[in-house]
Amino acid sequence: MLSCAEFLAEFGDYLETTAEPGLRARLEEHLHECKTCCVIVDSTRKTIQIVTDSDCFNLPDTVGESIVTEVMGRVRQKS
Amino acid sequence: MSDDWAPTLYWLPNPVMDTATTRGAPRVAQDLLVRLYGRVPNLFRLQNELPKVVEAEEQLIHAILQKEGWLSRDVKYGLLSTVARARRNKYCWSLHSRGGAEQSACSSVLERAAVKLASTGCTFSAEDVGSILRSGFDVESLLDVILTVSLGQLLCTLSEALGPELDFEPTTPLDPLPLPELELDASPDAGPFLTAPARRSFDFAPYATLRDTIGFIANLFHAQGSHPDAIEAEVNAIEQIVVPEEHLGRTQKETIFLVLAAANANTYCVALQSRVLAALGIPEDDIRQLAVSLKPASLSAADLVLYEEARKLSWPVSGNEFLTERLRSAGFSTTQILEACATAALGNLFTTLQFGIGCVPDFTPQRVFTSKDLYRFAVQVRPISDVVAPDDPDAELVRQTQSGNKAAFEELVRRHNRRIFGTLAGMVGDLDDARDASQEAFLKAFENIRRFEGRSKFSTWLTSIAVNTATEMLRRRKPTESLDDATIEDDFRPRQVQQWARDPEDLLSATQRNALVREAVSRLPYKYRVAVLLRDISQFSTEDAAATLGLSVPALKARVLRGRLMLRESLAVHFTHSEKLNA
Repeated sequence: MLSCAEFLAEFGDYLETTAEPGLRARLEEHLHECKTCCVIVDSTRKTIQIVTDSDCFNLPDTVGESIVTEVMGRVRQKS
Repeated sequence: MSDDWAPTLYWLPNPVMDTATTRGAPRVAQDLLVRLYGRVPNLFRLQNELPKVVEAEEQLIHAILQKEGWLSRDVKYGLLSTVARARRNKYCWSLHSRGGAEQSACSSVLERAAVKLASTGCTFSAEDVGSILRSGFDVESLLDVILTVSLGQLLCTLSEALGPELDFEPTTPLDPLPLPELELDASPDAGPFLTAPARRSFDFAPYATLRDTIGFIANLFHAQGSHPDAIEAEVNAIEQIVVPEEHLGRTQKETIFLVLAAANANTYCVALQSRVLAALGIPEDDIRQLAVSLKPASLSAADLVLYEEARKLSWPVSGNEFLTERLRSAGFSTTQILEACATAALGNLFTTLQFGIGCVPDFTPQRVFTSKDLYRFAVQVRPISDVVAPDDPDAELVRQTQSGNKAAFEELVRRHNRRIFGTLAGMVGDLDDARDASQEAFLKAFENIRRFEGRSKFSTWLTSIAVNTATEMLRRRKPTESLDDATIEDDFRPRQVQQWARDPEDLLSATQRNALVREAVSRLPYKYRVAVLLRDISQFSTEDAAATLGLSVPALKARVLRGRLMLRESLAVHFTHSEKLNA
């Protein structure tokens, strides 16, 4: 069975559901036995969801338009 | 948008009284499936216990596929096969592929539109509609296209849920189609795409049924005025599948519609279903929570399982299949499970139909869903993140820019502004610096665009320039921060191993969560920060993020994983509480 260190090095594809079946089976075998890694998988999934849902780096509309105006103003000067 | 848009509510449905009737719905020939497929396909045999449901599905097939319309049968088969290839659905591929004849009948324009409509319908736009019309189709044919793709969604959803054995060995193996790159900046309110046809008269029989069953005539049906058979079949399906209370309750089935609409990021259908559920007596707060998180306090454990499984049917993902056994363990009977599958399939038909038609909401939406919402359940649901599109959607604009068309470049700036700014804001941590770096990056891209040879996507190339620009800015601003790959935190190990709250997002307000995420991202070592920003904030695929940073895919994956674990470590202290925190 995988050790916790091996599990933590490999579980990225498992999080994204892209792990190939053999690896997935080994990871799940480890999860079946290891409560700590279960907690880490669960909380990492929740972390991804929180980060993905966050709009903390959203572009304010006014700033977006000012970027377009500034860039295109300078582009037109380059003709 | 104001509430003035709301149509008249003719009658608020009573879920107890309103059982199935067959008012005005013509019965199709019982042998339709046999005539069409040479036998009754296993997909329908599996639903034998619900003959009314099979009849409703049969009528949809009759109205959309069998009936002579504006499109030829071969083109319709081509569209159904295309949806099957996009969803990697071997069963529907075997049912509708005709040895290649159907694919040659389906032009590349239609194929592209069908894939987009089926996979990321919320980004379907007036531009997509225009490309179909410009290739020689008229508005009626376009509605035929949309209806056929929607039917394809229904049939694929059913087969993904029920898992029938193949009826025929396909003549050629299924060749999966790549999915389009998700357009995160797509406008969610670009419709209506179809010019309004003459409305059917007030006494059109299906409209009477709609007034009785949902209380109003939704714009989605008005917009199909040129296809009365399709309206009739759709309304009949609502009446036969959703309204009866014999197995699942009406509220459960309407909620499945809501959950599917939200999973597909369909603002229109969420608004419509919210109104229907409110009329059925569901509190507005519960409806709102059902749409975004399946977390209303009043939800029973069994219903939570029902809606979680139904939500999986919005799009098939390997490793996250619909689990009949989980529903059985939660106490649902075979007929209830069959009804849930048929309802989810019908929900996918309606959301796809609405995306294609683009009709305006009947009611003011509480929330506007965008393509970013497709990632709400990204870990479990959408496969888009690792699919590489073969064609660059920016190729034509890049070519025009290279030929001196500055308006084309302005369109590229508008298209990528949001994503570039988001990445840079996360990298440099200051909005003014992010704006300056964005402007600098776009100008560098313009100056060098003739050197761009299209060996990568334009978005990848542009983001590489932006990341390099921000890196230089950070070097100037924070000379003490190591930005080199040589610094490796090999000693990092997770230390926070307490169980997180079941619904951690409920513990803090959105503003508080945003502040925490911003702070946690800014504390990540540079190389992990950039990797996480590209992957989780800017939603690049793994391959594109790796190409942007000039890394191998495994190296990028390792950085993303390490970054996510570090974020988890930073956020853990805030989300292991079980009680709500005050602002």
